[in-house]
This record gives sequence, C-alpha cells and structure tokens, in this order.
Amino acid sequence: MSHLSSGRVNLGILRETYRRELLECIDKCTGSKALVWDEALTGPVGLIAEYPLLKEHEVDKMFPLSSGRLPQSSVQNIIFITRPKLALMNVIAENVRKEDQSGSFRKEFHVVFVPKKSLLCERKLKELGVYGNFNIIDEFSMELIPVESDVLTLESESSFKECILENDSTSMYYAAKALMTLQSLYGIIPSIHGKGELSRHVCDMILRMRREMAGSEPQITPQIDTLFLVDRTVDPLTPLLTQLTYEGLIDETFGINNTTIKVPPEKFAKQEGQAMAEVPTEPKKIRLNSAEELFAEIRDKNFNAVGPVLSRKAKLISAQYNERHQAKSVSQMKEFVSKLPHMQQAKQSLSTHTSIAELVKEVTDDDQFMENLRAQQDFVNGLETDKAHPYIDDCIAKEEPLIKVLRLMCVQCYCNNGFKPKVLEYYKREIIQTYGYQHILTLNNLEKAGLLRQQGQRTYPVIKKSLRLVVDEVNEQNPNDIAYVFSGYAPLSVRLAQILTRPGWRSITEVLQMLPGSTFEEIQQIPVGLRKRKASITSTHSNTMDQKVVLIFFLGGVTYAEIAALRFLSQQEDGPADYIIATTKLINGKTWLEAIMENVVPEEGNPFLM
Amino acid sequence: CRVKECYTEERLESRIDCLMAAMECYNKARNEWAAKVTEEQVKLLKYQRKMEEELNKPYLNLSLHRTMYQLVKENNHKLAETLKKEFKVPDRRFWWLKIRALAEAGDWMELDRF
Repeated sequence: MSHLSSGRVNLGILRETYRRELLECIDKCTGSKALVWDEALTGPVGLIAEYPLLKEHEVDKMFPLSSGRLPQSSVQNIIFITRPKLALMNVIAENVRKEDQSGSFRKEFHVVFVPKKSLLCERKLKELGVYGNFNIIDEFSMELIPVESDVLTLESESSFKECILENDSTSMYYAAKALMTLQSLYGIIPSIHGKGELSRHVCDMILRMRREMAGSEPQITPQIDTLFLVDRTVDPLTPLLTQLTYEGLIDETFGINNTTIKVPPEKFAKQEGQAMAEVPTEPKKIRLNSAEELFAEIRDKNFNAVGPVLSRKAKLISAQYNERHQAKSVSQMKEFVSKLPHMQQAKQSLSTHTSIAELVKEVTDDDQFMENLRAQQDFVNGLETDKAHPYIDDCIAKEEPLIKVLRLMCVQCYCNNGFKPKVLEYYKREIIQTYGYQHILTLNNLEKAGLLRQQGQRTYPVIKKSLRLVVDEVNEQNPNDIAYVFSGYAPLSVRLAQILTRPGWRSITEVLQMLPGSTFEEIQQIPVGLRKRKASITSTHSNTMDQKVVLIFFLGGVTYAEIAALRFLSQQEDGPADYIIATTKLINGKTWLEAIMENVVPEEGNPFLM
Repeated sequence: CRVKECYTEERLESRIDCLMAAMECYNKARNEWAAKVTEEQVKLLKYQRKMEEELNKPYLNLSLHRTMYQLVKENNHKLAETLKKEFKVPDRRFWWLKIRALAEAGDWMELDRF
C-alpha cells in the first residue's frame, strides 16, 4: 500500500489507525470467528484490511449478509459487520433466529456497526427479540477511506439524496467526525473556507466539536494549511458532463468500484498465456491505483494523449529488450538480468492498459458518443439551449437509456438558467410517455434537487465568463489549463479552488453571490508554538515545500476528472497549493443521477384479478 | 407517496383508485401538470385493459410509447394512431417509433408505403 504514503501528507497513517481499530474490534471475542458482511462494506473495508490479515486474527469464514440461514460453519463466534440501517436489522435477526433453531452447538453473536452505533437500530433489535443474543455490540468508526495518496472517500452513496431530498444530514455529521479524526492525526487546520449550505453545516459542527474538546487536543504542528468545503449543489454541472480523462472515461465506461473495475475477459485472455480454448467467462477484475507506475502516469491525462504515451512506452520496452544483444561481458549480462523483473512488470502493465484503452476507444469512436459530446459542448458554450434540442428528442424517440437523456437535459437546463415552462413540460411529458409514468417520481426528485427547474435569473453567462469555464485553445497533450479534462470546459468547482489559493475570492465576489449557498471563512487559532514557521528566503528548502497543503472536501461527491484537474494544479511548478481531496463518494454522472432517481418496478398486474 | 403505493397494487382497480387519489393530492398542491399526467396515466391503464381483453395480449405496465410500438409491430396501425391522437404524441417521435417497430417486425411492405 505504498501508494498511500507518497503524498505530502502521509495518508498511510490514517489507514493504519483504522486497521488497528478494526482488529481491536475483532479481537474482543476469543476463538475462531466468522464475519458476516453487509455487502456495501466489503469493498471499502477491503481497502483497509485484506483477508490474510484477518485470517491471522482467527477469522475463518466470511459471508455476505443475506436473509435466510447462515451457511454452516464450526466457528465459535459470528460477527455481523453492518451499517446502521433498519432494514439490515431484520436480516440479522432472521439469521440469528434461524441459527438458534437449528440446534447446532451454541455460537456467540456479536455485532459491529460501521461507522456508528445507532439507538434506533439497537431498539429495532430489541423489538425483534434478538438483542439479548448479542454478546458484544460495538462500533468501528471507519470514516474516510484513503484510496490514493491524495484521495479520501466516505463511500456513502446516498449522501447527496439524503441531504438534499430527505433532509437527513447524518452523512454530514460523519463528514464532520472524519474531519475531527484528520485533525487529531495531522493537526488543527488553521483556515477554513467554504461555499454552500452543507459546507456551512459541516464547518459549524467541527468548530463546535473542537470547542467541546477544548484543551484535550493533540499538540501537533498542522500539516494541512487550508480546508476548503464545497457542496455539490454549488457545481451540479461538472458531474453531468462526460469525463474525458483516461481514468474518468474508464469510470464512465466500466464503473470503478473501490478502485477495481470489471472488464470483459476476451481481450485479456491471451496475454496471460492461457490457451484460447479456455477463455474465462467471468469478467476480469483489474485493480487501478498509483502503485502501478504506468497508470499513475496516464490516469489523469486527456484520453487523446494516452495513445501516444502507450506507444512510446512500447518502443522503450522493446528497445530495452534489444539491449541484451549488445551485452557482451558477463557483468553487462548480469545488469540486464537484474532489470528483467521490472521490465516484465512494465510490459504486463503496458499490455493491460493497451487493452483497456482499446475497449474505451471502441466507445469513444462511436457516433453516439461524439454526438452526445457535441450536444454537451454546445450547451456549455451557451448555444441552442433555449428550445427542445433535436438530439435529445432523437434520443428519447430511440429509447436511449433514460439516464443518458436526463443527464443531457440537466446540462441544458443548467446552461440555460432553467427552462421556459413550456420546454420543461414538453420534456417531462416526453419522458413519461416514452419511459413510463413511474418516472414522475424521478422527475420530481430532479426538480427538488434543482437539476431541472424553471427559468430563473440569467446567471450562467456571467459565471461562465468570470470563472473562464470555457477555454477555447486547450492543449490535450501538454495541458496549460485545467479545462483539458473536459477538452475545453474547466470544472467550476476546481476553478473555485484555484482562485481561492490565488488570487483569492475577493476577485470574484459577484460570482460567489450568484452560486447557491453561503460563502464563509473561519480561522482556527493555534498555539504559537505549533505554528508553521514561514520559510525564510535563505532556506534551502525547495520551492515545493512552500506550497500550501489544501484539503478540499466535496460534499455530495466528486468525479475523477475533477481529481485530475486538482492534481494538475498541484503539479504546476509555480502552483501555490498541493491538494488533498476528500469526498462523500466518488461519482460520475451516471452513478450520481442513479442515486437521485426513484427506482420503481411495477408489480406484475394480474389480469385475472380485474 | 400515493404514486409509489400504486405500483405495489396488484389489482388494476385499486391501482386506478390510488392514482385518482394521487391526482387529487396533486390538484390540492396546485401541481396542474402532474395532475394532468396522472389523469392520462389512468386513461392509458383503461385503454390497456380494454386492449388486453379484446386482443388477448399483455399491454399493462408498458409505457405509452412501448404500447404503440407493440401495436405497430402487431400490425394494428389504427389503434396506434388512435392512441397517438388521444395522447397528442409529437409526429417526429411517432415516426421514429413506427420506422423502428416496422423494421423490427420485418414489415418492409408497410415501411415502404410509409
């Protein structure tokens, strides 16, 4: 997991902390154990502790939590690891009861809530009459999971929906808690900036939590200089657009889940030396992170710049292999052989990414993809936004996936500052007639979230202009602006972060007022002795040490393209800041809208009952 | 939420009742547009039931678009046209639908005439 520790702030420490806590939880009961997992947790926890490690702690079996009976096993302890959701309590209770009835020798039951115990859930267990069966009821406060040396996520899928549509801000409380954990490990963050109502809420919570623990703070020199909190509602446009970075496109095409993707196996069968006869039918799982040199290099590039890199690498590797012909002396041979493992690894990684890139290219070469992109770019440029768009009409007529249509519609709506009532009603009617009446609920949600709305003040042209959201001359190969991640559109959220560090928000006060939610700034006082010393002019430290470390927290989700843009800013030689990204969930337009949509499956009507 | 409830109802009659109730709620909330679509949905359900009885084929749970698609595919152009008029389906979308449905049915004669 070395890729976690390579950043300016070592996130490996955070992972270690969680690891220790999880093991403590498990070690509380003695004897052999089986873990029963709420499936939403297996992925994220898997990033913290792998199975071999758990095995060392007498974990013999792992099962997914599902209704019915637990699989048979001879372990002494059963530990349920679950989110505090009421529906899951029913399943757990059923498991426990069935196990008791089965009359096999007695096992001890335990339950661990992630990240927090909940009174409601405990009461539910009492109601179901199984509360007494549990020996230990514990919590494992895993909050922000480090997935990269600069990326942390709460992996809370429904957080945006809960906050915006259901007025349930539990996830914001978790976010605040997580920030407190970070401050206890990396020091109090001196300055806080934010934009949006949720951000305000989280900021208030951490300020209060800090007051409550007055005096008992760890005495650490702050490693993080600035915290920037931003709501997804401040910039709902960016995630709706198709990401054009390598990693972003992989996510749009296959969906990245806990840093892993599943791809069709055919492309990958040959290179592993398997006989063609036994092409695996299971999708192949590939793990993507910066531990892989090549991926670290190309993940944030515009997809159009990935091809040249791959072919250059291919040439380099074959050149390296050819060196063996020039090796004459024994020592030269020896040197060559010592390089072999690294070269083989590089070759393997190159062929994997060539295959992935080919698969992605199949998608991007498709006419549909290009047309979709063209429509998006027209909208962002403010063209043809005020009437129903023929491409959207055609998509509906051809019954293209509903998400695609909605995504495009929301982009158009945002760039037009809302629709004229007639256009909005026309679109909504088309959707209901084509995809079915049940989607009235989804449309309702989108309106409530402000993604579809009636025309309001014409703010978009001003926002676009003063934040330079559209950049005409963008170099995809050697980018000079963050707009390269969308081939011409600069993500609004990242632009805000960029301006915040230089020249500061005072230059854009007018625009900040147009964006939703309050704008705020707080200073957290820090004892003089712990303050960072300003690097003196004579100091030998390199320039990068003067870069401020900025933690930017996206409440409601962040896309890979935005992460790429922030990394681009961090890497600028004269860049004023080094960014660490935290979020409630890594998203793309599809997963984001899916979480907002209402999924109603009609019950089969029974004609005989009429 | 009444709308969600209606989809759990197995019986068509109670489903329609549910929708009527939803419509009333929408009316009370002055959401005229939603009330209107809900009314249309009730109308569609009634059509679908009638068609199921007369043609002895399943249409329930299909969207309006899918219903018309099915009808065109089954060579029942008159009914499809009726629905188109009744629900004011835009020409452009209806043509697309017709072309695609005819192509799927392999009805090149009709496609040619169209």
